[in-house]
Amino acid sequence: MARIELHNVSVEFPIYNLSARSFKKNFIRLATGGSVVKNDAHQVMIKALNHLTFSIQHGDRVGLIGHNGAGKSTLLKLLAGIYEPTAGHISTEGKINSLLNLMIGIESEHTGYENIYLRGTLLGLSRDEIHQQIDEIMAFTGLGDYLHMPTRTYSKGMLLRLAFAISVNIKPEILLIDEIFGAGDASFIQQAQDKMVSLLKESSIVVMANHSDKLIEDFCNKAILLEGGQIKYFGNTKDALLQYHQQKG
Amino acid sequence: MQTESILEIPQEKSISSPKKSNKTLAFYDFKDGLIKWRIWFLLAYQDIRLRYRRSILGPFWLTLSMAITVYSMGFLYGHLFHIELKDYFPYLVAGMLAWSLISMSLNDLTDTFISYESLLKEIKLPYTLHIQRIAVRNMLIFFHNMIVMLPIYVLFHESAHLNVHTLFLLPCLFLIYINAVFFGLLLAMIAARYRDISQLIKNLIQVVFFITPVMWNPSVLPANKLFFVWGNPIYPFVEMIRAPLLGNLPAFSIIATSLGITVLTIIFSFIIFTRYRSRIIYWL
Repeated sequence: MARIELHNVSVEFPIYNLSARSFKKNFIRLATGGSVVKNDAHQVMIKALNHLTFSIQHGDRVGLIGHNGAGKSTLLKLLAGIYEPTAGHISTEGKINSLLNLMIGIESEHTGYENIYLRGTLLGLSRDEIHQQIDEIMAFTGLGDYLHMPTRTYSKGMLLRLAFAISVNIKPEILLIDEIFGAGDASFIQQAQDKMVSLLKESSIVVMANHSDKLIEDFCNKAILLEGGQIKYFGNTKDALLQYHQQKG
Repeated sequence: MQTESILEIPQEKSISSPKKSNKTLAFYDFKDGLIKWRIWFLLAYQDIRLRYRRSILGPFWLTLSMAITVYSMGFLYGHLFHIELKDYFPYLVAGMLAWSLISMSLNDLTDTFISYESLLKEIKLPYTLHIQRIAVRNMLIFFHNMIVMLPIYVLFHESAHLNVHTLFLLPCLFLIYINAVFFGLLLAMIAARYRDISQLIKNLIQVVFFITPVMWNPSVLPANKLFFVWGNPIYPFVEMIRAPLLGNLPAFSIIATSLGITVLTIIFSFIIFTRYRSRIIYWL
């Protein structure tokens, strides 16, 4: 059974190329971003996540909301295991697939077809596993003969189609999604959302960051409202969105 | 699996997986890195293929450029030092092959975490996986370079032999690979934290080339200057490749020294990795 538990987790980024003296105003809390603090060694730190405690159980679809720099992406990277907590303790059970940056591992000199193997391998699939799914992936991209062209000839939207098709064919227990649709055209976004829904249904836990209220309301049964690296609200999606908009207005 | 008692937060019973110790996590990183060999091997292979994409010779440009360098050096310096070509030429070529493997590995490994910053920050992969990628990439380059020895076995068959001792190259390369992984991990960590280190290493390597017996033979040194050779930690590794390439066995002292260095490197690297593994990502 998949689950995620966080106990008093903090993430602090040290900023090395900055002298602490350039912050004379004693670190005012900024409107966006985590709070800037000084540690004992007079080093400048950004507190990106501040004492988070929560748990996510099997069946939960959690939406992350909050303005830019609230810590949504950092939290997703923490859950993905990329960042380890600088304080506190996190435990996750279950195989994780994170759709954070789809373009990572796409090599512009390789053809779309080669990139399917390359990124597939990078995401942990074996050659056989990719081989079994290759037709499905190729069909899903809708790129046809373009798959045999180097990806540097692709438009942004085409790249997105390719990257998305590879990534969503991995069946995880825990699915982490950052804002990933930028350049897709209308028909692709519809197709991608349908695929997403089926992927969401198959995953045991989903955590997604998104600025679209509708997506969050449609897909999530819980929401976390982040502000300055702290949890403002954790619970019902509607209430979270309500609070988020009140705070904005 | 060990539990750590130095935790500020009281552990609740509901947590089924106890906090893993740093040692376990460091060990797991190595293990996971090995299990995912498919990834680093593919990436290393792609690195080489991409570099020579659309060129006719492809990766054999590696061989060709190595050939041009070492053949002209061998010819020139042989005459310059007044040493018979049949003795000097094979010695220099084999030495240069060893040197290029070692120096290029050190150069590339130092920058591992710095150059793969975006990859490290987007996909959770073991740290050692990136190190293995660079280590194996340089091994593959070495195998391409090795082809320059072939004409030498024909032209200078009195002094360079292809025989049973040449097979000893395989365990020697394996030992060098282990050193590349562990020492490379150490270097890459230090270089990620202190950005001057990478420049320092690159400069040092250029200097070390001249004080390491690659272009010259240690036998020309007077006895009281031999510490230059024995005090040089790179020398045993150069010799471990050069000797079998020329059809000789490396001296026992060479093997013993490099084994000793390897053990120290493994221990030291593992200790540092255990201690700072979780910090690496914050240094980038």
